[in-house]
Amino acid sequence: MALLEVRDLRTYFATRDGDVRAVDGVSFSVERGRTLGIVGESGCGKSVTALSIMGLIPKPPARIVSGSIQFDGKVLTQLREAELENLRGREMAMIFQDPMTSLNPTLTIGTQITETLRRHLGMSARDADRRAVELLEEVRIPRAQERLKDYPHRYSGGMRQRVMIAIALSCNPKLLIADEPTTALDVTVQAGVLDLLEELREEHQMAMIVITHDMGVVAEAADDVVVMYAGQIVEQASSLGLFDRPEHPYTEALLGALPSLEGEGGREARLASIPGRPPDLLDPQAACRFAPRCPFAGLNDYCSVEAPELRELRPGHWVRSAHPASERAPV
Amino acid sequence: MAVNPQQEELRERVLTRSGGGVDAGAPIRQTSLWRDAWYRYRANRAAVIAGGLFLLLVVYVVFAPILSPYDPYGVDFSQAYQPISWSHPLGTDQYGRDLFTRTALGGRISIGIGFAATIAIMGIGILYGSISGFVGGRLDNGMMRFLDALYGLPYLPFAIIVTQLFQTVNFWVMVTALTIASWFTAARVVRGQIISLKENDYVRAARAVGARWYRILARHLLPNTLGVLIVFAFLELPGVILGEAFLSFIGLGINPPQASWGSLAQDGRDVYLAHPTMILIPSVAIAWLILCAFFIADGLRDALDPRTRET
Repeated sequence: MALLEVRDLRTYFATRDGDVRAVDGVSFSVERGRTLGIVGESGCGKSVTALSIMGLIPKPPARIVSGSIQFDGKVLTQLREAELENLRGREMAMIFQDPMTSLNPTLTIGTQITETLRRHLGMSARDADRRAVELLEEVRIPRAQERLKDYPHRYSGGMRQRVMIAIALSCNPKLLIADEPTTALDVTVQAGVLDLLEELREEHQMAMIVITHDMGVVAEAADDVVVMYAGQIVEQASSLGLFDRPEHPYTEALLGALPSLEGEGGREARLASIPGRPPDLLDPQAACRFAPRCPFAGLNDYCSVEAPELRELRPGHWVRSAHPASERAPV
Repeated sequence: MAVNPQQEELRERVLTRSGGGVDAGAPIRQTSLWRDAWYRYRANRAAVIAGGLFLLLVVYVVFAPILSPYDPYGVDFSQAYQPISWSHPLGTDQYGRDLFTRTALGGRISIGIGFAATIAIMGIGILYGSISGFVGGRLDNGMMRFLDALYGLPYLPFAIIVTQLFQTVNFWVMVTALTIASWFTAARVVRGQIISLKENDYVRAARAVGARWYRILARHLLPNTLGVLIVFAFLELPGVILGEAFLSFIGLGINPPQASWGSLAQDGRDVYLAHPTMILIPSVAIAWLILCAFFIADGLRDALDPRTRET
């Protein structure tokens, strides 16, 4: 049995005009020790999926309408808040996009690390301090002993993200969710943070979910990939399978939108983009949600009337489209 | 793919580097948040002067009665209405009591009531406002509407009614009355602060590692409101002191023979033509204290809440 199993998760946000279906029937699982990448553009529901797993969605307005989340034999969707609190930070942890604002400016780095240790592991202040130094060294903060007493404003963005990682890993969680862990960082720092995450994941034998809109991050970090669009999974495959043979037109477009420095046109070429905008999730159409932006959807296709189901094209490669690449007539 | 080897090497170095900040290892001068605040406070000259004048006033009210040779409550009609002189720096009142001593004693009461009531106001405001703002939703709505209803009550009559509920009006009765009549704004300010702070990423990050609600409130939210609340307290202080002075002036304040600046001014009101110093001195003392508090508040705002600086 997988460490994390999300089945048909639906998380809606109540608004004045009705429910916004931020996550609309998402299923996936994460095995122990594996890394799952969740990719998609802004507003596709990838962060809400993560927050739903952690039980951190803002209630109200958000609520989990249906579906189940099983984690390590426990059904998270049925736990009481206090039980969830005991799991968060202990069994599963999360790091956020913006390290500049994720640390409390009025508490020292040391306090913020030991807080979690003392909360979950019941360590004494002295033991927690010692462990905090080890953790900081593990994420390669130099002169960890001294820097423990510093306030966050003395840390750079990359260092703060390392501290966030140290806090997240302090109790040896089984699952780490990284929500856009490198988006807010300098390009030079990004690779370092990703390498560190991967290294620590291996060391701590964790499973990891990396949420990103950056295909490069997925390629570097993930074993399996879920591509989300408009609150649904549109393609799901192993990382290799996805980059090798992308099937969904949206995935193809995402990969096509990666800027490249070399090859045809070079820097004169315009950046490729996907025409149109994602649909309104307040009242999504019955048809395929990608149809209006899909270059392959004809007006007479069934997918402009009825939504295609997620189907398995090859073993382990799922796609939700009437026009996957391998079924298209060669041009 | 014609990449020159130098570029390739550079790319390699960049990608394999263990990451940013590692080289930021030079020893850094330690400055605490409070020391930074002190530097900013000192830059405001008016606030520094006001702070000095305030301390002077405090020293006066604390030490003058101890060092004074006169009994502040002893009646001696032969000494009544003495003018300002070396033996009586501020003259004497209608019972021949030394006003230099009595003004200091009155100052103890006025300043004491002012600070005690301000602290109580902040305490109640923090409790009420933080619960309301932190819980949010229906409870918040209910608590705020209750506050709106209290706002409708006129301030001074409300305080007067409270003082009348007690047999004798002493120090703590005054503190209670003034607190009950004026804690609403503090609660609103705290609530607003909590609401804006609880959306912060670090609050979400704290919840993501399993911090419980009381810890989030006490550790992550309230300390971040501290700067704003200290400034607010110093802005609240003059209002409370004026309220106390007013109540004492109309004879509803602290009972004689104890005095506050308000009741001293009341004593002088009857004879303001013959002995103008009797009403002038407590009035100047009140104005002194209030102006100091305002300028200190201004300096504190620059020091503790630099973002809202108006310059």
